[in-house]
Amino acid sequence: MTDLKGLASHDNLKAAFAREAGNASRYQYFARIAEIEGFPGPAQLFRDLAESCLCNAHGHLDFLKLVGDPFNDLPIGETADNLMAAIAVGTDDGHNLYQDCAADAGRDGYADIANWFATMARSSLNHTDKLHRALSQLTESLGKEEA
Amino acid sequence: MKSHYPSASLAPNPTYDAASITVLSGLEAVRRNPGMYIGATDQAGLHQLVFELVDNALDEARAGCCAGITVTLHADGSCAVEDDGRGIPVDLHPTEQLPACQVVLTRLHAGGKFGREAYRYSAGLHGVGLSCLNALSSRLTLEVWRDGGHYHQTYAVGEPLSPLRRLGDTEKHGTRITFVPDPAIFVGSEEFSLAALSGRLRELAFLHPGLHLRLEDRRGGEGREDFHYESGIAGFIKYLGQGEQLLHPEPLLIRFQDAELAGEIGLQWTGGYSGKLSGFVNGVNTVQGGTHIDGLKSALARVINSCAEELGMLQRENGEHVSTLDILEGLIGVVSLHMDAPEFEGQTKTRATNSHLAARIDAVVGAGLREILRADAPLALRVVGRALDAGRARAAARRVGERLRAHSGTSGFSPEVYQKQFGLRSRNWHQSATWIAHADLLAEHARHLKLAGKPLLLDVCCGSGVVGAAFGNKVGRKIGLDITPEMLALARTRLDQVVQGNVYHLPFKAASVDLVVNREVLHLLPAPELPVAEIFRVLKPGGQFIVGQILPYGPEDAAWMYRVFKKKQPLVCNMFQEDDFRELLLGAGFVDLEMSEYRLWESIDLWIDTHETTPLHRQEIRELFHHCPQEAREVHSFEILPSGEIRDLWRWCVFSVRKP
Repeated sequence: MTDLKGLASHDNLKAAFAREAGNASRYQYFARIAEIEGFPGPAQLFRDLAESCLCNAHGHLDFLKLVGDPFNDLPIGETADNLMAAIAVGTDDGHNLYQDCAADAGRDGYADIANWFATMARSSLNHTDKLHRALSQLTESLGKEEA
Repeated sequence: MKSHYPSASLAPNPTYDAASITVLSGLEAVRRNPGMYIGATDQAGLHQLVFELVDNALDEARAGCCAGITVTLHADGSCAVEDDGRGIPVDLHPTEQLPACQVVLTRLHAGGKFGREAYRYSAGLHGVGLSCLNALSSRLTLEVWRDGGHYHQTYAVGEPLSPLRRLGDTEKHGTRITFVPDPAIFVGSEEFSLAALSGRLRELAFLHPGLHLRLEDRRGGEGREDFHYESGIAGFIKYLGQGEQLLHPEPLLIRFQDAELAGEIGLQWTGGYSGKLSGFVNGVNTVQGGTHIDGLKSALARVINSCAEELGMLQRENGEHVSTLDILEGLIGVVSLHMDAPEFEGQTKTRATNSHLAARIDAVVGAGLREILRADAPLALRVVGRALDAGRARAAARRVGERLRAHSGTSGFSPEVYQKQFGLRSRNWHQSATWIAHADLLAEHARHLKLAGKPLLLDVCCGSGVVGAAFGNKVGRKIGLDITPEMLALARTRLDQVVQGNVYHLPFKAASVDLVVNREVLHLLPAPELPVAEIFRVLKPGGQFIVGQILPYGPEDAAWMYRVFKKKQPLVCNMFQEDDFRELLLGAGFVDLEMSEYRLWESIDLWIDTHETTPLHRQEIRELFHHCPQEAREVHSFEILPSGEIRDLWRWCVFSVRKP
């Protein structure tokens, strides 16, 4: 079998992962609104579908991990690798992606969206700090094990 | 192959057999994981212990065997709940061979409510209330007056210290349980809140007409509150609607009863913004709603829309319909049900889950409300008109947001938009949030004053002028600046002079004032560095700028707070974090930055009750608190009271800087 990396199927899995993860989140959001509006039927349906979408997104990751993280292709699978991939994405989000987004929003005249993205950048870097600490602890405990 | 699992090396060939399986005795399990039984070990969990006892006493009241319940808070940290019911049975339990009262206090899943013979409509279900309370109490004293005898027994962390003793004869009947919450479990939250307990007892008194409830506080004196009402749901709704402008003088009441379910629903539309629906099942306040509230909402949507249609009030050409959220605006609604076999989510019973309730309440309210509105056409016109107005106002509010967008170019500021938003709210400005006129918080600003003599003060975006006024005679002349005529009128009662203008173009000469004060404004302004530069410009060298701002506790709660604040006030542009704000001030050229923190509890229910917040956003804000991410919860304190009211601990930061 050809290496999956770089094939159309690899790109499709990445796109499908983003879509299903997005659907899970959207449906949870929609469920809350349906609940507030007093429509328990659609609320429950959205919650159930969100659960399925999340399961589907994880199914995409089952394949994607053959290559790596869907956002940066770094190896994922075991926790130490997952922490490293998460740190890489969080760092990029905090230093690049959200900073660029904030700058665009400012240029577009949306001060509030610019500040929202700036808040996201801070949040990403804060998450990255926590992930770093978790990785250090894991490495330390694995190091002791090796010793 | 080397294992990557550290634990594998802890003990070579560890034994894993039947002896390795730990079986926690019931009450030990409660102590190991109290949150599973009482929700949490914070103050809410502490109150849950009291409510478990009160619920048991209420079961006696509902069975027609109890007329009074007294909750007493003692100076030693204990709480006693006494009722004049039949008294917990003291005779020997047939299988356990222990007094029945000891069985219910020491065995999980033991109680008088499983059989349904003793109690028909019960709040307790799981048979864990008393035994959990006992397990989580460092000391507990049981007193029972029953069958002509006075009985007494003491416990510590769930274990009896003595057998049940008969102390003497009595004609009295009832139960008193006095307990001290175990400080090892309720670390740092061992103190009962009078407000939380009195709020709950009051609502119970309304829900149980004729019943006498009393709260005695003997912790630092002799405080006493009595709760006794004959007016039931109607009275409760009138109490909740105090101070509101009422759309109809009397609450609309719908009652029903069948073999399995009895209920009463009361509805009162008001002129306010923030409506509130409360649901009770056998006296339990289901603060997160549930199937009964779902049924009420769907019936309201259906009936009001069909009424609107029948009355010809909809703009059909625009496809207009009345949204549920608009119907709920300003609506105080109470659903109180008494039923067999209620089902709840979790031991703390925050949500009713009986699936048949939604359809049943929908049908009952649908029929009842339709009948009321058909019989009273003027009332129907007012109720439907109220909802339609709310929808049209919501559309207008959205247009305000759109106008803000349209104006936010390089100038970034549209005075008209701000004028409209704050002009409307000026009518009840001081009542629209706790912080606005909070004396200590205002004094915190004045405490930062370093200038001697009688400095000339400028209060920018002064609102009602309370910040400038807080400096009293420590300053000289006080000038205010605001953009709305309503605010100018309010501020003129407190400041020496108030001028109309905006902070992007201060109508003052450079280096003309000694002191500028400002509070909770910069987060609403695009490009906040521009107004800060203006403030720098008008200050004399050596002048001081004192500014108060609510800030998140850290990056952990900033995004969550951004969402909460943006839903409350569409004009929010910045959720400053502490170093952002410092940078904003220092970046303008200011020096000598000092900051103090002032933490202030704010009732969200009050704070969101304004035209700035749409009905959906009000509910979403509540949801954001109910589903606050753990990461944010760890740094940001808030509490959800037994009544469902949300109180948030705001981090006010007051900064002082100087122009070099």
